[in-house]
Amino acid sequence: MPGYSRALAVLAALSLVCMALSVSVGSASLSVGDTFAVLTGTGTPIQQTLVLELRLPRTLTGFATGGLLAVAGALMQVLLRNPLADPYVLGLSGGAAVGALLAMMAGVAGAVVSGSAFAGALLATFLVFGLAHGTGSWTPSRLLLTGVVVAAGWGALIALILAMSPARQLPGMLYWLMGDLSPAANPVPGLILLTLVCLLVFPLGRSLNVLARGPMQAAALGVSVRPLEWTIYILASLLTATAVTMAGSVGFVGLVVPHMLRLVLGNDQRLILPACAMAGGSLLVLADTLARVVIAPEQLPVGVITALLGVPTFLYLLYRSR
Amino acid sequence: MNPLQARELVIDIPGRSSGQPLNFTVGPGEIWGVLGPNGVGKTTLLHTLAGLRPPRSGSVHLGGHSLVEWKRRQVSQQLGLVFQDRQDGFPATVLETALIGRHPWLSPWQMESAEDVGKARAALEALDVGQLRDRLVNTLSGGERQRVAIATVLTQSPDTWLLDEPTNHLDLHHQVAVLGLLRARARKGCSVFMCLHDLNLAARWCDHILLLFPGGEACWGESRQMLVPGALERLYGQKLRTAEIDGAPVFVPAGNSDPQSS
Amino acid sequence: MSSVVIPGTATAREATVRLADVSLVTVVALLLLLAGRAEAVCVEDDQHRTVCVDGPARRLVSLSPGATELLFSAGAGGQVTAVSAWSDYPPQAANLPRVGDSNRLDLEAIVTLEPDLVVAWVDGNSATQLGKIEALGIPVFWLQPRTFTDIASAVERLALLTGHEDIGAARAADFLAAMAELRNRYRDVPPVRVFYQVWHQPLMTINDDELIGRAIRLCGGDNVFGHLPRLVPRLSTEAVLEANPDAIITGGEDREDRRWLDQWQRFPELKAVAVDNLFLVSPSLIQRPTLRMLEGSEQLCQVLEQARARL
Repeated sequence: MPGYSRALAVLAALSLVCMALSVSVGSASLSVGDTFAVLTGTGTPIQQTLVLELRLPRTLTGFATGGLLAVAGALMQVLLRNPLADPYVLGLSGGAAVGALLAMMAGVAGAVVSGSAFAGALLATFLVFGLAHGTGSWTPSRLLLTGVVVAAGWGALIALILAMSPARQLPGMLYWLMGDLSPAANPVPGLILLTLVCLLVFPLGRSLNVLARGPMQAAALGVSVRPLEWTIYILASLLTATAVTMAGSVGFVGLVVPHMLRLVLGNDQRLILPACAMAGGSLLVLADTLARVVIAPEQLPVGVITALLGVPTFLYLLYRSR
Repeated sequence: MNPLQARELVIDIPGRSSGQPLNFTVGPGEIWGVLGPNGVGKTTLLHTLAGLRPPRSGSVHLGGHSLVEWKRRQVSQQLGLVFQDRQDGFPATVLETALIGRHPWLSPWQMESAEDVGKARAALEALDVGQLRDRLVNTLSGGERQRVAIATVLTQSPDTWLLDEPTNHLDLHHQVAVLGLLRARARKGCSVFMCLHDLNLAARWCDHILLLFPGGEACWGESRQMLVPGALERLYGQKLRTAEIDGAPVFVPAGNSDPQSS
Repeated sequence: MSSVVIPGTATAREATVRLADVSLVTVVALLLLLAGRAEAVCVEDDQHRTVCVDGPARRLVSLSPGATELLFSAGAGGQVTAVSAWSDYPPQAANLPRVGDSNRLDLEAIVTLEPDLVVAWVDGNSATQLGKIEALGIPVFWLQPRTFTDIASAVERLALLTGHEDIGAARAADFLAAMAELRNRYRDVPPVRVFYQVWHQPLMTINDDELIGRAIRLCGGDNVFGHLPRLVPRLSTEAVLEANPDAIITGGEDREDRRWLDQWQRFPELKAVAVDNLFLVSPSLIQRPTLRMLEGSEQLCQVLEQARARL
């Protein structure tokens, strides 16, 4: 338990460093002094706009998205008792994608695309919930199978939309599918949700640990297994829906971050979940900084970078832990 | 201490007709053994008694109140279950696994204290797996995992122990150690209710026996009265030869190739 | 076929030289025709292949809106039997049967029409699909105009292939002359720093090699992202803020759609926003590499004049 505070403090520091880096680095070069000046209220109008209206919201959105996805991934892995689960395994991102792409195809503006994505995500959640619930005997593998099939269905719809859209809309759609932080989203709901979930972890955390040992074992120790599983499902879905609404379907963060942290920090969900929030946030902020800088003034979608960063990091950690 | 009681209990096995209703009480200090051939429903009975499965009819009571009237947390403070099959959850260390036994005793906001960790470590030591405490559970042998499972319930320290074939995978030395530990708990006032496939262990260690027959009949009572060759032969469908060692009966299957047939 | 545009009179000279080249070919072809033999007409396309048709092509299929317009400009409108989707100019093209879109072509429909020539677009159509067409004996003429000279040359070469040499040559010459005149008119004006927005999400612009970029240059504009290597770079909003252009011009998503320009109002510190230099131009005039680029360039030049006045 004492190691927990230390680990969390380190991650908190890492988060702050990554966010500071993200705010001061970009295609427009701003020295540390200038950045600080802006944050304390001075600086030219263009600098102020740059930092306060462009970079800061984007950094916060990136942090919230990364944190939400990592926590959702950790929760999914506990729920399905499967280390290969990620937040999208139950078809959530597929539903959100269909919502977003349909909105783009109809040519509507940014806020409607986000709302449409959220609606699609919720629809996907209820669809899988209903299908897996309705047949009586419910197990994680049944939920997983239902989710995978539904996800494939969404995939087919996405392919259809891509095939039928006019060519000029394709770059926008592809960027959404890869995960992109440039549409200016509001980070506040995401950050609030992330904080709430991290607080919720304390009363729920040990039950999650027990649940992770097996449902029968958990029931024998007094855990109300079914309600807890549905709570995790709804929570993970809400987190993922929020994340996907902000930044499209950013891949890898939800799969790799919980894994990495478990290899290093063990299995106590009370430590892992808040650690995921901070590590996931840091990773995404870092990835987005790279995405904005690597071919400046052009930029890449952040999902490309998370994939490229995530894979070798994970392989390295696996190799080390042997 | 709230004793576990079965009232007109009929366990539910899908597709099978109802067996004889069971009526017994596992009193403090008693060690019960459940005997029966494979597939007769011993595990189902155990799970029903633990409240994990609903019975087909009848009820399970703890201290006079039906199980469903108790809060889950309170039930798990009084009832502990050692499963037969290891469910593979997420990887965890031996100590972490034993520590979850403290879950029923801690409120959601409490973290495990040093005292809780101490209890878990003591339990692991008692089961002779203390030195493995930082190992990952899935790297252990079958016998070691069995003992960790028992240590988990020891950490939970319930009044009533339900065990499903606790001596599986254990070598002789550890079998004796585990049963000795259970007898020590019983002497302190706990009750023990365990399924055993080894007739002789039951004969040596249990003071009460429940026999579950393949047709659905059951009978229960003190060991002296239950462990009669006629009933046991009917139970297992196997001729037995009896001997007595140290005042306790020993049963051996009678083979056709036995040169000393009588 | 593409050449680097050098601002100033060199282009006019170059244009004259190109004109001379093609006129020579035209003369030779005419002589051959007059010689009474129905020679195959062979012309080089933008993939540097020689494409030959037996006599002037009579049944044409166009596989991009740009190609459709160029064919009509070459005087071959009456010979076009089918076009690709989105071929909306000239209005007569809207009534022609469709054979699909970019790389979703209906090969069966194309083959059933038994065309003499298929005109394809390098940046739009699939080489694999058109390889099949060629394997069936139907010649495919690829276009990829990158400069105004390329546009003129395309019109001329298509006119050659379709038996309208005179019309094609005349229209090409007029186009180049008018472009040269436009360039001269704006040669010495003070430059206006321009950001041209192609799309909003992702934020896309064009560099100096792209036709719109060339038009901007011609009108005395300075494309702030002209130096980037990619033809159509994807930017961050930050880059635009840093560049701080004098004017922001876009074709918008739809006709008369000022939404993208209105989004820039979020940044009143931008010079372009401060002096209200946010302009909409007609996308079909400027985003298609056709003879209408003349009108498009004229519109762009007028817009830049307005911008210049407000600075």
